Amino acid sequence: MQTIGTITPSTLSRKDLPWLVLWDKDRCTLCGRCTSVCPVRTLELGVFRKRTVKPDINNPHTSSSSFDVYYGIRQKTDPLNACVGCGMCSMVCPNDAIIPARNDEHDKLVFHINQGGVPRRRGGRRNSWDSLLNRIKFVRISMLTDPALDAGRHEFELKTLLGRVLSPEDSLKHLKENGWIPPVREIYPLIIGGMSFGALSPNMWEGLQMGVAYLNEEMNMPVRICTGEGGCPPRLLRSRFLQYVILQIASGYFGWDEIIHAIPEMKVDPCAIEIKYGQGAKPGDGGLLMWYKVNKLIAAIRGVPTGVSLPSPPTHQTKYSIEEAVAKMIQSMYMAWGFRVPVYPKISGTSTALAVLNNLTRNPYAAALAIDGEDGGTGAAYNVSMNSMGHPIASNIRDCYTNLVKLGKQNEIPLIAGGGIGKTGDLAANAAALIMLGASGVQTGKYVMQAAAGCLGSESDRCNICNIGLCPKGITSQDPRLYRRLDPEKVAQRVVDMFLSFDTELKKIFAPLGRSTSLPIGMSDALGINDAAAAERLNIKYVV
Amino acid sequence: MGYPNTSIDVLGPASDDVGWLNAGAEIVVHGHAGNGLANAMAQGKIFVAGNIGARGMTMTKSNPRFAPPEIWVLGSVGDYFGEFMAGGIATVCGIEPQTPDNVLGYRPLVGMVGGQVFFRGPHKGYSTADAKQSPITDEQWEWLCKNLNLFLERIGRKELFKSLSKRKEWQLLVARSPHERERGSKRSMESFHRVVWEKELGHGGLIGDITAIDRSPIPLITTGELRRFVPVWENRVYKAPCEAACPTGIPIQQRWAMIREGRIDEAVDLALEYTPFPATVCGYLCPNLCMQECTRNIFGMTPIDITLLGRASINAKLPQMPPKSGKKAAVIGGGPAGISVAWQLLKSGHEAVVYDVSPVLGGKIAALIPETRIPKEVLSAELKRIQKIIPHVHLDKKLAQDDMERLKTEYDMLVVATGAWKPRTIPVPGKERMIPAIKFLSLAKSGEIVPGNSVVIIGAGNVGCDVATEAHRLGAEKITLIDVQKPASFGKERKDAEAVGAIFRWPCITREITEQGVVLDSGELLPADTVVISIGDAPETGFLPDTVEVERGFVKVNGIFQTSDPAIFAIGDIVKPGLLTDAIGAGRKAAAAISDLLSGKPHEPDTREVIDKYRISPEYFDPRITGFDDMEYCGTQCSSCGNCRDCGICVAVCPQAAISREEKENGTFAYVVNEELCIGCGFCAGACPCGIWALAPNKELS
Repeated sequence: MQTIGTITPSTLSRKDLPWLVLWDKDRCTLCGRCTSVCPVRTLELGVFRKRTVKPDINNPHTSSSSFDVYYGIRQKTDPLNACVGCGMCSMVCPNDAIIPARNDEHDKLVFHINQGGVPRRRGGRRNSWDSLLNRIKFVRISMLTDPALDAGRHEFELKTLLGRVLSPEDSLKHLKENGWIPPVREIYPLIIGGMSFGALSPNMWEGLQMGVAYLNEEMNMPVRICTGEGGCPPRLLRSRFLQYVILQIASGYFGWDEIIHAIPEMKVDPCAIEIKYGQGAKPGDGGLLMWYKVNKLIAAIRGVPTGVSLPSPPTHQTKYSIEEAVAKMIQSMYMAWGFRVPVYPKISGTSTALAVLNNLTRNPYAAALAIDGEDGGTGAAYNVSMNSMGHPIASNIRDCYTNLVKLGKQNEIPLIAGGGIGKTGDLAANAAALIMLGASGVQTGKYVMQAAAGCLGSESDRCNICNIGLCPKGITSQDPRLYRRLDPEKVAQRVVDMFLSFDTELKKIFAPLGRSTSLPIGMSDALGINDAAAAERLNIKYVV
Repeated sequence: MGYPNTSIDVLGPASDDVGWLNAGAEIVVHGHAGNGLANAMAQGKIFVAGNIGARGMTMTKSNPRFAPPEIWVLGSVGDYFGEFMAGGIATVCGIEPQTPDNVLGYRPLVGMVGGQVFFRGPHKGYSTADAKQSPITDEQWEWLCKNLNLFLERIGRKELFKSLSKRKEWQLLVARSPHERERGSKRSMESFHRVVWEKELGHGGLIGDITAIDRSPIPLITTGELRRFVPVWENRVYKAPCEAACPTGIPIQQRWAMIREGRIDEAVDLALEYTPFPATVCGYLCPNLCMQECTRNIFGMTPIDITLLGRASINAKLPQMPPKSGKKAAVIGGGPAGISVAWQLLKSGHEAVVYDVSPVLGGKIAALIPETRIPKEVLSAELKRIQKIIPHVHLDKKLAQDDMERLKTEYDMLVVATGAWKPRTIPVPGKERMIPAIKFLSLAKSGEIVPGNSVVIIGAGNVGCDVATEAHRLGAEKITLIDVQKPASFGKERKDAEAVGAIFRWPCITREITEQGVVLDSGELLPADTVVISIGDAPETGFLPDTVEVERGFVKVNGIFQTSDPAIFAIGDIVKPGLLTDAIGAGRKAAAAISDLLSGKPHEPDTREVIDKYRISPEYFDPRITGFDDMEYCGTQCSSCGNCRDCGICVAVCPQAAISREEKENGTFAYVVNEELCIGCGFCAGACPCGIWALAPNKELS
């Protein structure tokens, strides 16, 4: 786009932008579909002048200059409208005349996105392809040494336990003294992590829930899904599908009045209650639902005014310590459901995770500990929080597990790992690696968004506009014009496909290890990595 | 690994792996058999007179060159029967089974891709993903009976035939075809949604109870209310940059539109709606802020030349005067501001009388501005036009406070537009030798001064430049303009002064004026026959009633030029020094406010914003034009910012054929969008030469 008049420090050219829209004049039919669909309105019809000079060297003063006008698709260069690389233009183009491409120059927009002193906020992920989990290999293959199993033929027991498993003597003691032992759920080890009603569109949310219900009721797979912190629709609270749902309570406390109202009317208990203390993608920050997405429906469910940004505090404001949090929140939540529902905290990956774990091991009410590593996703966060804050999940979960082993409690308090599982597509391998490092189960969100709904995000800062409600796939938008692009039935079907294929892949990993009767939690002798430092840190084999 | 034509009889029970990789042998086991019977067998037959263990009939094959393999089991089979079975026929008779409630064992037929399993007796399921039940045809039943006989003969239990040959007791399992596998036997999600999901939750699913919003799927490209953006035809919603820049507020772009339409007279006449001096000011004296702001400038193109239209306005016809309102206003001062306000008030039907000490109206325009800058006949023609309609009271002396109080009682409103006539000066020795610029210009105009050979002008602004050119006209040869800072003069005045050889010097601080000339701080003497002081003029405010607040020598006014006395307005240089067009514009705006006040209407000033120049597409115009010879050509090259050219390009460029032109009864037109066709692509906005179309977010769906 031509720059006219004076420039400012933030005047950018196409060369400076992270994404270039490549447009082919010869193929373009000027149908208007690309400019219609572009979520950030980076595309517009441009009027172009094409000048023709006809020189005539032999006849003096007869050379001429004339011009024609033609139309084409122009890419805007102002930061507000900069292309996000989603590629929807390419998707709707009937002639394959347009496509965004990554610029070969380093992004200069990054230095100017903070107009008005507001740092960049976005949704998505860390935008780092690096994944330690991808580098972990399963090196112990049963070769005649013990019976190798057939993933397709053998039966596998892949379920895991969510809930506090007390030692037999403690159990008896509890039963005798309190008339109560902690509830334990037998669930599928891959959990759909907390994504709120609000962060996700109604169609996405319904699609996920429907898929989970199908897996439970038609496929006999006890898959569970966490609500995130945006509350839960009243109908779901009063349905039998609630048993597949982990209700999350977080520092924003959105929608909890509806949940409390529903308790006497619940047909079934929820699977569990997750108390969110932190999120891997943006540790130290609370949830953030930006105003673009707080429409009438979301406001009603959350009990807030419309059109306001909803930043949740980074902490539960009246709980100042882990002891207090455990004492107040975990027990209150237990009490609300008559001590029938497991309650566990979720923290972001941190070097202080062991301190939390040690506290929980002393408390028989703590049903599990979920840790969300730095590669977790989010609908909205400050760029700096996403890029630079957080702790990798592998060593965090490993430290916690080995500590439990030292205490002899490794089978008592389940660890649930999250953050970056399947970030580059290797969902089963990443999940298996974490399980074998010591996790009892894993949580994932981004993978579900991509597999079940076609999220365009990738680790290359593509799209990442979940926060402003413009999701071109309708996954994280609250605008019916966008989210109606998403058919809940199709999402549900993809959830089913995803879990079935995950199930097969997980078996393909566990079968050659000779494990089929229970999840190989902590079976780290089967793990190897071609990085000596990582091997030493994780206490697994160094293989080259 | 049995060969064809081989017979093996095991006279009792057999261990594991009977018939492993059998390629044609007939094996009879006269008892039970262990695990792995017939594993990977491809031809031959195995007859078992009892039960078999786990993983029987697994991995079996069938080669079209040979007869398929068969196993016959009198009792039941063990767990994992028929895994990965790819061919052959298994018959399980269910006589004295080891597991009476389940003759097929646990998890049979996982991975089965071919072959048939006939069985008799209860079972507890099989891999439905791989196998399915199939009715037994007459042909198959015939085959079964025939071979059952053979089997019973081989194991010596022929007596069982009668009890075994009851067709109703037999069932057949066959492998699913790859096609059937793909489709699967699972419930469709559509069915689950409708039958299970909505049945439990209610109609509308998860949130059907809290919102009635339609959430059914829609395509990526939508029309009507599902468009994200809608085009809006914003004709004349914004001011053109020229119009916005003109202090008088003339809608220049509309005048060029009239020219394009051939309505040249109307374009010319329209000027008088806004200014009584279209030719004098727009054509000659104005620095033409409209042209400075012309959109074409930012694209490096020559601005449309308004002076052509300005000069043509000498022939503008007076508009028709409306009926009298009966309201009266007195205007004190007959300069451009006073004439403008009176002109506009008269045009609004009010009575307006101008009081001035000068015998002719026109103020500084008439009295001071050199004829080199404005041809005498142009000015006098316009003044004549003014005199025709504006009543003028020629005062013999300046008004005093009591005169003003009297006028206040005689008129509904007073407007003070007396300008600034008090020359500013500097307190240096010999200051009495200096001639104020306004006096010099006035005397020069009437030919009553001879400045001599050398002239020094203190103050090098535009008025100083006028002094320089006039001094040159009157014979001066050495003309120097000095200033304490970089001279503020610009435009035609500056160029004209430079053209007559005037020298500009700065910074120069005057120490004293002597008979020889001007002595500077540095001691240098600038010889001068005449010294003119030209550092501006101050207003006189002493005659104003005490109710009119004065600040730093100027009358204080609000946004509509009303003074602290609500019955007195003030405009022009008495409020703030400015250009002629500023004074004329102030007159027009004040008149609009006064007219509303007098008629008791709420005053609604024009609050339209100026159009964003980036909305204009200059690409339609030739960038190599460097000047304009006639008004028609100006009209063709004007972008008509914010003012629809009626070119119809939007109709042509719309990919959906959604835009059409609508003629209205009053002769005007509009471009309208068919919502059912429009996809909100914004091509209309992109292509519009004038920036009329905007793409606005569609209204929120609820």
